Amino acid sequence: MIPTNEQIAALIREDSVHKSVYTDPTLFQLEMERIYGHAWIYVGHESQVKNAGDYHTTRIGDQDVVMVRGANGQVNVLYNRCPHKGAKLVADGDGSTGKFFRCPYHAWTFKLDGKHLSAPLKSGFEGTCYDPAHPDFSMASVARVENYRGFVFASQAAYGPDLKGFLGGVITSIDNLCDRSPIGEVEVAGGVFRVQQRSNWKVFYENLHDTMHARVTHESSVEAARSEAEAIGEMPFELLIMDGNGEPYDFWEKLELRAYHNGHGYMEAIFDPAAAERDEVSRAHFDCLSQAYGEPRARAILGMNRHNTVIYGSGSPHTVFMQFRVIRPVSVDRTMVEIQTFRCKGAPDAVFDRALTYANVINSPSSNVMPDDVEVYARCQEGNMTRGGEWISMHRYVGTDTPLEDGAVSTNGTSELPMRNQFAAWKQFMTATLIAKESTHAA
Amino acid sequence: MLLDRRIDVDTRTLTPAQVPTDTLRGIEQFLYREARLLDERRFWEWDSLFTDTGMYWAPQKHDQENPFDHISLFWENRMLREVRIRRVENARNWSQQPQTQTAHLIGNVMIEGLDRSGLLVVSATFQVSEWRLEQRQLAGRYTYKLASQDDGSWKIQLKRVDLINCNDVFANLEVFV
Repeated sequence: MIPTNEQIAALIREDSVHKSVYTDPTLFQLEMERIYGHAWIYVGHESQVKNAGDYHTTRIGDQDVVMVRGANGQVNVLYNRCPHKGAKLVADGDGSTGKFFRCPYHAWTFKLDGKHLSAPLKSGFEGTCYDPAHPDFSMASVARVENYRGFVFASQAAYGPDLKGFLGGVITSIDNLCDRSPIGEVEVAGGVFRVQQRSNWKVFYENLHDTMHARVTHESSVEAARSEAEAIGEMPFELLIMDGNGEPYDFWEKLELRAYHNGHGYMEAIFDPAAAERDEVSRAHFDCLSQAYGEPRARAILGMNRHNTVIYGSGSPHTVFMQFRVIRPVSVDRTMVEIQTFRCKGAPDAVFDRALTYANVINSPSSNVMPDDVEVYARCQEGNMTRGGEWISMHRYVGTDTPLEDGAVSTNGTSELPMRNQFAAWKQFMTATLIAKESTHAA
Repeated sequence: MLLDRRIDVDTRTLTPAQVPTDTLRGIEQFLYREARLLDERRFWEWDSLFTDTGMYWAPQKHDQENPFDHISLFWENRMLREVRIRRVENARNWSQQPQTQTAHLIGNVMIEGLDRSGLLVVSATFQVSEWRLEQRQLAGRYTYKLASQDDGSWKIQLKRVDLINCNDVFANLEVFV
């Protein structure tokens, strides 16, 4: 039975959430409709479909979609479904469909914007309501598609805020990722990892800004990196990025957690102008950006010392190491993560080498860091199936966050503000107050 | 250092090699022993089968040419292999409770030829049953570059692991394949 808005609202308290938000398949189905059916969701980067006819398949919530480059250069996002019998028009993955889509079942064809092109033996349609111009005979487009600096987002709702309005202040993370290129452009390069988690999608979002877990969950990889560094007498980049989770609590307390409307946010270290020159790769990058933008702006770009960013419903860009972990819900207890690595066009090769190394060491399925995360998420999933308790705590520093016009900022870097902020957005989407408000606007 | 393009991972540009039968038997036994060390989680002994500059590589893409401009499932030198071993042996390795168990089956051992530096290139087909909470099957082909040692034994300069589903969605790969 579908819960009422009042019942859904009662699952979210200011300082805690009911465990069923992670375990109830009915709520998961509602999330697919009310969150993923409305919010702007990152589909992919336009560099994944360079030429007309190139496509990339993925999912918006529970919907199979295909991102395809049109003949006019525009990137379209279509449901991967032939209007005839419903077959998926292209197999999952990346490829080129040429000048048009052709269904493998009965050879109906469609233009790259999904519009009906032809069907064999048209004489058989005489006297029927078959109408090539009618949308029922074309591939359906996702309601709205916007491309921000190459990042293609789609919304399945025809109404609501535009992409910029939806992203709010978190758009600065996309800007910073792009600005790290001297020509302001990045591209997905070097392949995409896909990793499975045995847990609900929301726990990963919460964990991205959970500073209290790092030194506990990751003790095995921190100790492994530190003992190896001791054995070899140096701490190269590959070990340093594992060692970071072992910072003491006061390091994490000093970070700033920024929360924006719609569940977004980022974790920021205090602006560090020295970041531009802290190592050889950064210095080469800094020199390159200085030539393009001048020193002060180059310093500002590289000094933006952001750790994980959360774009709620889409995933987590990491601006410094040029990654985007795209989070795709599969079922109430399964999540798939697509990990993209970006090349900063025009930046020194070493910048991409570093991004690739970060992907291999931290984000690969063989990562020494991630398995302990994935393990604790799965333990939450299983623990919450017991009758041992009903509520999940997000009490840390509740009531102390500083409200801002477009969100809030933590007074302590170990605050559970990001989780509270994500669930505030969750509640809004799930009880449709946001949607109703938007409908009024649209009207 | 890890993306040093001078590391020769080419296993295709080869000159033919003839190997006496007892040498071939010795190589087969070497590969079986290597697999046994993995199955028994004797990882430090396993790592000692590599030369000091030996690399362990599992491409993420079919026919991947190199680990330098594309992601890899594993691309590990001795330092990173040791980190993996240290982690799985750490008492607080939450994701290794219970620990991963494996059974390797190796066959179709073939001498491929000699690479540019005179290293012997050998391939073998593998099946690995891996269990941790649930069982999965990993399969594919190993390609080795072997360096002969003065005492007649072998060391691994490169172990390339081509999984048939290398670009699949993966649950974590915590131990060496």
